[in-house]
Amino acid sequence: MMSLPFLLFACGLGAAWLRQRGAAMGFWVAGLVVLLVLFRIHMGDVLNIAL
Amino acid sequence: MPGDLSRLLNALGLILVDTVLALAFVDQLWFRDLPCPICILQRAGFTAAGFGLALNIMFGPRPSHYGVTLLGAVTGAAIAARQILEYAVPGSGFYGNDIFGLHLYTWAFIAFALMIIGSAILLLDDRQFARTEPWSSRLNVLPLTAFATFLVLAAGNVISTLLICGGGLCPATPAGYLILNDNLSLTLLSDAF
Repeated sequence: MMSLPFLLFACGLGAAWLRQRGAAMGFWVAGLVVLLVLFRIHMGDVLNIAL
Repeated sequence: MPGDLSRLLNALGLILVDTVLALAFVDQLWFRDLPCPICILQRAGFTAAGFGLALNIMFGPRPSHYGVTLLGAVTGAAIAARQILEYAVPGSGFYGNDIFGLHLYTWAFIAFALMIIGSAILLLDDRQFARTEPWSSRLNVLPLTAFATFLVLAAGNVISTLLICGGGLCPATPAGYLILNDNLSLTLLSDAF
């Protein structure tokens, strides 16, 4: 699951290589959404920065 | 700034992103410093931000491509900042090796901030977007090298992350390559029977 953003970005770069700009942007948006979801999953706990 | 110069500057920027991602692999493979889950997400942030530069190289400069870079860099900076805050309290420890006194997540935050500033500066010049004739699909050596290296590094991160984390979420402190260890265990298990 953690490799999914990289996979989507790599697919997007492949689409860009094939001159498919719309598909490339679509893969990038999907990759960013997955990245944000994974960030939320991993960093859901409260920060302990009370001094 | 003419569009060709903008394309060249984007290629140079992408080479810097390539360098960051390659150095992360050097740290992982040479110094055996396995990336934590948040470190992996910061690598993904660099890939998301570099994507916009790659689009500028392939399709010519567009404001939307700079938007891609800015959104990717802001996401990466937020992830790096979260990790910096995790170790902000004295005595709360740190993760991984340091370089010139700063840990990789601090360097990552600085790099993301520089990407945001750099993209904003490049966005200031409207002349790069004024080109009327279509962009040539032929690329010079430098942009082509930058793009191809970026693609290889993104694919390399797919494989590396799969090896470290398997198909699910990563362990908080990875002790080894999960898939290789699992396969090793299976091999030892089959040997036992």
